[in-house]
Amino acid sequence: MKRIKTTQLVPGMRLAEDIILPKTNVTLIGAGTELSIEAIRRIENLGIEAVGIDETKEDSKDETERQLIPILAENHERAITAVEEMINLSTEQPLEEEMVHGLADDLMSQVELDPSLLLNLTHIKAYDNYLFSHSVNVAILTLLVGEVLGYSKKELQELGAAALLHDLGMLSIPQEIWQKRGTLSPDEQAEIRKHPVYGEELLRTKGFSEEVIRVAREHHERYDGSGYPGGKREKDISFKARILAVTDVYDACISFRPYREQMTPQQALEQLLSEKEKYDPGVLNAFISVMAIYPIGSLVVLNSGEVAKVIRVSRNNPFRPEVRIYFDREGNLLEQRPRLNLAEEKNHTLYIDKTLPAEEHKKLAAVIDEASRDTP
Amino acid sequence: MKADLINPFLAASFDILKRMGKTQATRGQLGLAASPVHGDEVNVTVGVTGDLLGQVIFCMTEKTAMKLASNMLIGLPVVTLDELAKSAICEFSNMVTGNAVGELGNRDIICSVTPPTLFMGKEVMVSATDMNFLVIPLQTELGDVKIYIALREADG
Repeated sequence: MKRIKTTQLVPGMRLAEDIILPKTNVTLIGAGTELSIEAIRRIENLGIEAVGIDETKEDSKDETERQLIPILAENHERAITAVEEMINLSTEQPLEEEMVHGLADDLMSQVELDPSLLLNLTHIKAYDNYLFSHSVNVAILTLLVGEVLGYSKKELQELGAAALLHDLGMLSIPQEIWQKRGTLSPDEQAEIRKHPVYGEELLRTKGFSEEVIRVAREHHERYDGSGYPGGKREKDISFKARILAVTDVYDACISFRPYREQMTPQQALEQLLSEKEKYDPGVLNAFISVMAIYPIGSLVVLNSGEVAKVIRVSRNNPFRPEVRIYFDREGNLLEQRPRLNLAEEKNHTLYIDKTLPAEEHKKLAAVIDEASRDTP
Repeated sequence: MKADLINPFLAASFDILKRMGKTQATRGQLGLAASPVHGDEVNVTVGVTGDLLGQVIFCMTEKTAMKLASNMLIGLPVVTLDELAKSAICEFSNMVTGNAVGELGNRDIICSVTPPTLFMGKEVMVSATDMNFLVIPLQTELGDVKIYIALREADG
């Protein structure tokens, strides 16, 4: 048991002792009760200074995740390496459609296992090999969107393969250009803008299906005609490429890039929606259903004042994710970090009041990463 | 129902409409309505339990609901009240009630908010047993939002 000051109590902590009304000696809340925001408000109004909190509590979900996370992380790393090898070898060896489909299937089963945990991984890590981690992460996002849009298993395989290969044309562009820090010269920019066409050519020589080829060629086309290389509009762009347009931009925004600040998940959504005319509205709608309003990894402030991280989202309830509380109302990092599912009936007195501004988000995310190895 | 219970709801509506709905609101004449009341095209009821018992009902036209939902959803185009849009309207109502209940907590009136329920259709009738509703009509750039509140002190 640990004594915690009333002002530092957070919802989800468990009482280790009875709360007794001082005047009448009546038990107000019994030991073992999980504290709600209502209970905390009552304790505070009674003028009680500190209460005993149970320290032993470990959520059974936490335990399951602790076992699952290293497995998912390893599979994710492996997928990136496999894509890297496949793509690097593709200049010398034939790139087999079957092999790509196999990789897409692997990703699909990872996605099915636990999409939220998988998104946690893709959101927090910085990879050196951006091109390949980006391909894998875009494929994961794309598969999730395809699932919501009702794609069959067979179509998802093709969609996943297309997503894995969408940036293949980058290989035809000197690395110095696409890994350059700072702004690109007009010539360099023009070269980068050729990667969809290079990708198309590469995939055609390797005999890929027309669908996969079109996605590589059209993933920088925009719904309003402002994209490249063809300036195509609306239904002239293949539907799979319209999905990729959204997932590609989102992942680029939340990734560490040498030439600009990394965005928070919320900023990335805002960025996408500030240019909504560029994207298929149906795809945007499906994307928001998948990512939710506060995507996984977002740091949010609850109406009770605590800072929490979004660890799971639910498709039916985009405003009420599952969160883990990391900082109490006074801004202290908690030793014991309760998880709360805001979609549960008992938690509706709480709501997410706002997300943290980028600077603070970055600062606190670093503190959280440091403090929480092996938990999402 | 005591009139001073109404202020936290007014302040909460203004605050949530401004921050989440991205719109300014002005208040019309407060009124009383006998239970049951008629709904509008889109109606959300949120229950309150604890030191106070009762419900808060948010009513608006579909057009207003779609605009409000779009703003809640970071500007996502909303052309029909699909599940995503409905969840936005529900969360709006949940937030206003949760915000007001938080303010009441500062006055030692401790309440819980129960999950919102959305009903479509003007023919919906909502009743509160033995209670009248206090009506807050709000005008916003998105259209009118009417809030009906019926709360009584819990026994004992």
